[in-house]
Amino acid sequence: MKKKIKKVAVLGSGVMGSGIAAHFANIGLETVLLDIVPFNLTDEQKADKTARNSIVNGALKAATKARPAAFYDKSFVSRITTGNFDDNLDLIADADWIIEVIIEKLDIKRGLFEKVEAIRKPGSYVTSNTSSIPIHLLVEGRSDDFKKHFCGTHFFNPPRYLRLFEVIPHETSDPAMIDFFLEYGDKFLGKDTVLCKDTPAFIANRIGVMSGLKVFQLTDKYDLKIEEVDALTGPIINRPKTGSFRLQDLVGLDTAMKVNDFVVSACQDDEYISTLKDLETPKYMQFLIDNKFFGNKSKQGFYKRVKDENGKKSTLALNLKTLEYEPAIKPRMDSIGAARKIELTDKKLQTLIDHEDKGGQFLNEYFASLFAYSSNRVPEIADDIYSVDDAMAAGYAWDYGPFQYWDFIGVEKGIQIAEAHGNTVAQWVKDMVAAGNTSFYKTEDGQTKYYNIGSKSYQVVPGTEAFIILDNIRDKKPVFQNSECLVHDIGDGVLNFEFRSKANAIGTEMGQGLAETIRIAEEEGWNGIVIGNNAKNFSVGANLMNVGMLAMQKDFDTLGTMVDQFQQLTMRMRYSSIPVVVATQGYVFGGACEMLMHADAGAVAAESYIGLVEVGVGLIPGGSGTKEMAVRASDKFFEGDVEMPTLIDHFKPIATASVATSGHEAYGYNLMLKNKDEVIVNAKRNIAEAKKKVLALADGYMQPRFRKDVKVLGRAGLATLYTAINEFKLGNYMSEYDVEIARKVAYVMCGGDLTSAQQVDEQYLLDLEREAFLSLLGNQKTMDRIQHMLTTNKPLRN
Amino acid sequence: MEAYIVAGYRSAIAKSKRGGFKNYRSDDLAVDVIKHLISTVPELDPTIIDDVIVGCANPEGEQGLQIGRLISARALGKEVPGVTVNRYCGSGLETIAIASAKIKAGMGEAFIAGGTESMSLIPMTGYKLSPSYNAAMENINYHVGMGATAEAVAVKYEVSRAQADEFAYNSHVKAAAAIDAGKFNDQIVPVTVKEVFVKDGKRTESEHTVAMDEGVRRSTTVEALSGLRAVFKNGGVVTAGNSSQTSDGAAFVLVVSERLVKELNLTPIARLVTCALGGVDPLYMGIGPCAAVPKALKQAGLNQSDIQQVELNEAFATQALAVIKTLDLDPNIVNVNGGAIALGHPLGCTGAKLSIQLLEEMKLRNQKYGMVTACIGGGQGIAGIFEKL
Repeated sequence: MKKKIKKVAVLGSGVMGSGIAAHFANIGLETVLLDIVPFNLTDEQKADKTARNSIVNGALKAATKARPAAFYDKSFVSRITTGNFDDNLDLIADADWIIEVIIEKLDIKRGLFEKVEAIRKPGSYVTSNTSSIPIHLLVEGRSDDFKKHFCGTHFFNPPRYLRLFEVIPHETSDPAMIDFFLEYGDKFLGKDTVLCKDTPAFIANRIGVMSGLKVFQLTDKYDLKIEEVDALTGPIINRPKTGSFRLQDLVGLDTAMKVNDFVVSACQDDEYISTLKDLETPKYMQFLIDNKFFGNKSKQGFYKRVKDENGKKSTLALNLKTLEYEPAIKPRMDSIGAARKIELTDKKLQTLIDHEDKGGQFLNEYFASLFAYSSNRVPEIADDIYSVDDAMAAGYAWDYGPFQYWDFIGVEKGIQIAEAHGNTVAQWVKDMVAAGNTSFYKTEDGQTKYYNIGSKSYQVVPGTEAFIILDNIRDKKPVFQNSECLVHDIGDGVLNFEFRSKANAIGTEMGQGLAETIRIAEEEGWNGIVIGNNAKNFSVGANLMNVGMLAMQKDFDTLGTMVDQFQQLTMRMRYSSIPVVVATQGYVFGGACEMLMHADAGAVAAESYIGLVEVGVGLIPGGSGTKEMAVRASDKFFEGDVEMPTLIDHFKPIATASVATSGHEAYGYNLMLKNKDEVIVNAKRNIAEAKKKVLALADGYMQPRFRKDVKVLGRAGLATLYTAINEFKLGNYMSEYDVEIARKVAYVMCGGDLTSAQQVDEQYLLDLEREAFLSLLGNQKTMDRIQHMLTTNKPLRN
Repeated sequence: MEAYIVAGYRSAIAKSKRGGFKNYRSDDLAVDVIKHLISTVPELDPTIIDDVIVGCANPEGEQGLQIGRLISARALGKEVPGVTVNRYCGSGLETIAIASAKIKAGMGEAFIAGGTESMSLIPMTGYKLSPSYNAAMENINYHVGMGATAEAVAVKYEVSRAQADEFAYNSHVKAAAAIDAGKFNDQIVPVTVKEVFVKDGKRTESEHTVAMDEGVRRSTTVEALSGLRAVFKNGGVVTAGNSSQTSDGAAFVLVVSERLVKELNLTPIARLVTCALGGVDPLYMGIGPCAAVPKALKQAGLNQSDIQQVELNEAFATQALAVIKTLDLDPNIVNVNGGAIALGHPLGCTGAKLSIQLLEEMKLRNQKYGMVTACIGGGQGIAGIFEKL
């Protein structure tokens, strides 16, 4: 019978423990969170439940205030019951999964497991989130049933956001349990779940530590500034913009050093770590540690933010030689300059490592070492290369893992540079090349396959069958395409409409493409359409550049047509004879949000950040979004309702350009509807889930009727909203121009200055919306906002 | 014919939404207070009372359906009429003025006047915020929120955050001292609230008695107050700590004619010498007393220096400070037992509650003239001058 997790217990409420508990609550589990009774209680406090639970309750409170938010929705905290180990361990008796997240001390962990064993129900899973203690040591002295149902399950901080979930069996772990966690991590926790071996630091931290230490060494060797290294190891090589040194500041140098020291002490035999033992700690590292300059949490580390007497903020960077903080420079390196011009990742990386400047040499040696080291870790830390790559991508937010980078640079070229720098590449890589295989991965029949070193052949990456990865079907002939979109058959009579423009911005071609795709689907008898893509962000909304240019030229005829077309497009999505389902992840702004609102259903990744943000650029939602909010408010009114709070509730998300920070939160902003849109925990599944929805809807699909019954409140509503807007203005939360824009939103949503409430049709509201949108485009302040956004990527408050 | 106040009582003022009356209706509370009030004057046949005048700032929802009439019938019998009066935060004083004026005009001889308010049950803006479109187009600030007015007053009258916080702190200190000295004991009617809730899955009955004002925070400090966030304005000065507390409460006085006093041999406590109102820009509503106080003094033929004690409703510290400064009031005679920042501000009840508090304190200090004044949302001020007998 398939195991179900209904109740989970988290033992230990530190930053990790409470974050893990929050994520369990996020996915809807009944969660128990326990921690110790404080040591230093007075006799009076010892009898007081509040005092006894002060550690766990304090930690949970901190978790509710964490930024970025640990909870999808702050109300989910009520799913967590707290208690302490002395009084409340019985709460774990009926837990299906007990996860230990306490201090990294073997004897203390063992002591706790002994108590757990006495209470847990047989068959319940017990796991440890340890990052440094071998799993097999933790179960010494426990019963066979305990051992059988025990393994390591390793989250990364913060648990909601870091996508990696490492599963580490020990020798007698039940294979069925391991399979369970591999699936559970993906489907329920929404994680990239990776099977590890019981080796020190498992996969991600093992490779990550090597990578970090190598960067330190090479920084010295090539005499680079930390700003330069961060530029070389950031987005230019498809990694987060924190690069290397900023990342240390973010993680906290003390924490990072603990992990480093652990790996160094536990891996004395590995070919890289063994070379480090005679090296001294760099003097800058000693300097930072001695002064407790651990990074962001101690206000300074490798970098320091300062304010001058005028309040202007700037960043200082540590000069590694002089140990002085100096104004941070904007690094200029020829290698980076050359690489920036190249769009294709393989060509870009090749250009970088072949460049003769210091940056090029640095990266050449860095990748050479990374490749060799990673090759030698298979099969030591993982049987398969994809586990290593998945772990680095998910745990360190690299776009690509070592073997994927290696594929971009070329396998043979990688071997050549590795050896040129004196590294030894694993024999299996050479065997692979000798057998005529030129890459670690390849795509066949729409599926990603990896080189399996055991069978010496390519096999499908397990677990990805449930994902629809659009890159894998590129070699099929598209059903339709133009410069901004690509439409593929994703099976079972379902089309996928993919954005292909820069930042997935919605432009004219895309609109035409979607209209055409809907026509094709209707006329050729397709089951329906998924609008989805695998990019980090679904879409940032309409192509602002285009709109701005036309407004600058005062070409209001073209603009009018454009807005009308976009309105008709979203309306067409709703009023077509086939279901249209939108699958989102990441940013879903403006026009993209309007598409979601007009879809028959949404398959919305929990990590979707959704908002009608047009006010920020001096506009109102002009693709039927303002209209739709009026419709949604109207749908909530009931006989005898006072209506105003509902109207305000639907007005505010537009007027204040609010962005929901999770799919769940978007329900509260009325951007998603409970009976229509669904939150998908694992973003990688959203297109597949959207396809399922299309198929479910297609069976007996009834095209919705055009609405003529939208109740708008006219002057009564306007007076209420104008009054509310005035409060924002008096409170300095809105500028004069914000007020003007907000009043336009109000005007559309109330149906204008009608004498009393009445029913109107959607087109009437769309006309008001379009007029308001165009009138704002005629205002210089809107032009200034658009320009500011285009040049700085930040909203202007004028 | 002269009108005299012969008795006055109030409930304790409870914290709204968290306090002892959070589930108790304000009509029930008013009935409790009036029943007690009338029991202290056994010489008077309740059925001869001409009217029960009930101040209430949000007479809708639980306070709708003619709360004044409902209270009179339940407290005194169906023969006794009742009316609801709304002058927002001035309601409780307004009703005493109406009662006194009616007696003086010969339109009756016995009135119960005061106010009741549950801020727990009725939202501050009522259930349906529906400002007038025409008014909003003429002047958007007709419907301005109270917090925004307090910020506007702070800017115009140059009240600093530090001054506001210190004022708030002193309000708590004075209120705590007054409670400790038992100064409110004689004016408060203890009210027992019976409740039924589901506890641990079972229907559970419980009861508690509310006998003392709940708002005072004895542990507060200027530092603690200065750490609070401005709530109405980005970078503003008005915080939850230097604003009045939202509260639940009821307070009523018995006003009778000179003739009845003599006939029944009653002992008058005081008389309302006069009461005046004035209007100001709604955006600076907090400064309202500055328009009302000079008018009241003039009507009474008194100088400001004749007034020995003032209850100035502390809607907001910024507003109270601006009024004290503008009118040049002696801070030592204002709110000697603390104000609404510490003790709470149950809107429609407040005027009557402050009047009762003032008269008790005047008795202790053996003073002759005292004043109750309050700002009123929408841009008004009210000031009533009492003479203690």
